[in-house]
Amino acid sequence: MKIRLELFGASREFSNKDYLDFNINKKISIKDFRQEIINYLKLNFKENKAFKKIVETSAFCTEDNNIINDNYKIIKNQKITIIPPIGGG
Amino acid sequence: MLHAKIIDTKKEKIKISTAESFISSTKFGASIFFSGTVRDINENKKVTGITYDSHDELVLKSFKEIYYEADNKLNIKDKVVFIEHAKGYLDLGEISIVIAVACKHRDQAYILSRYIIEEIKKRSPIWKKEHYENENSEWLKGNPIQPN
Repeated sequence: MKIRLELFGASREFSNKDYLDFNINKKISIKDFRQEIINYLKLNFKENKAFKKIVETSAFCTEDNNIINDNYKIIKNQKITIIPPIGGG
Repeated sequence: MLHAKIIDTKKEKIKISTAESFISSTKFGASIFFSGTVRDINENKKVTGITYDSHDELVLKSFKEIYYEADNKLNIKDKVVFIEHAKGYLDLGEISIVIAVACKHRDQAYILSRYIIEEIKKRSPIWKKEHYENENSEWLKGNPIQPN
């Protein structure tokens, strides 16, 4: 199953592209997906604590623009957006 | 009546005159214009500009929700609201947001204008990357969004 994580705000620093792709073998909750992202960042950016904190404090959003909680299960190929802490205006 | 738009700064600029035209009506006796602009110092750092990032669809959804909430939460049903927020790079002094409201009475207009900007700060997925005089830049920390 392919999950495309769309990047916004501070999370844009995670990649030169606007997204990261994850290949996951089974259905996964947002809670566990959050950990997958942290694992990816550990591998690619060593111990970047600021990046880890961004993921820990981010919300996530589905393609139909609903903010989802940690119990939401991703069960098929899907785009998920990471919403780091906001500060517009 | 609501006008809500994200303005791509590569293509256009936010203009208060557009807001003025939109909310102008003889039905309403009170108008408030709020604008946010890029300021030169933040946390003792000399700022040269800000890049705004936005999840456009979610931002517009949040603007609509905030507008309709005002009916019940604030009991302000007769109103005209104009909201535009910038996306992209802005220089010092340029306008990042305009909120213009028109209501029957001034109390309602002040309350509504304040409510809208405070809710946008809490709920609308917009991010700021500040650029500094020493050519560094930094995403501002912001506030986490909570699922409903």
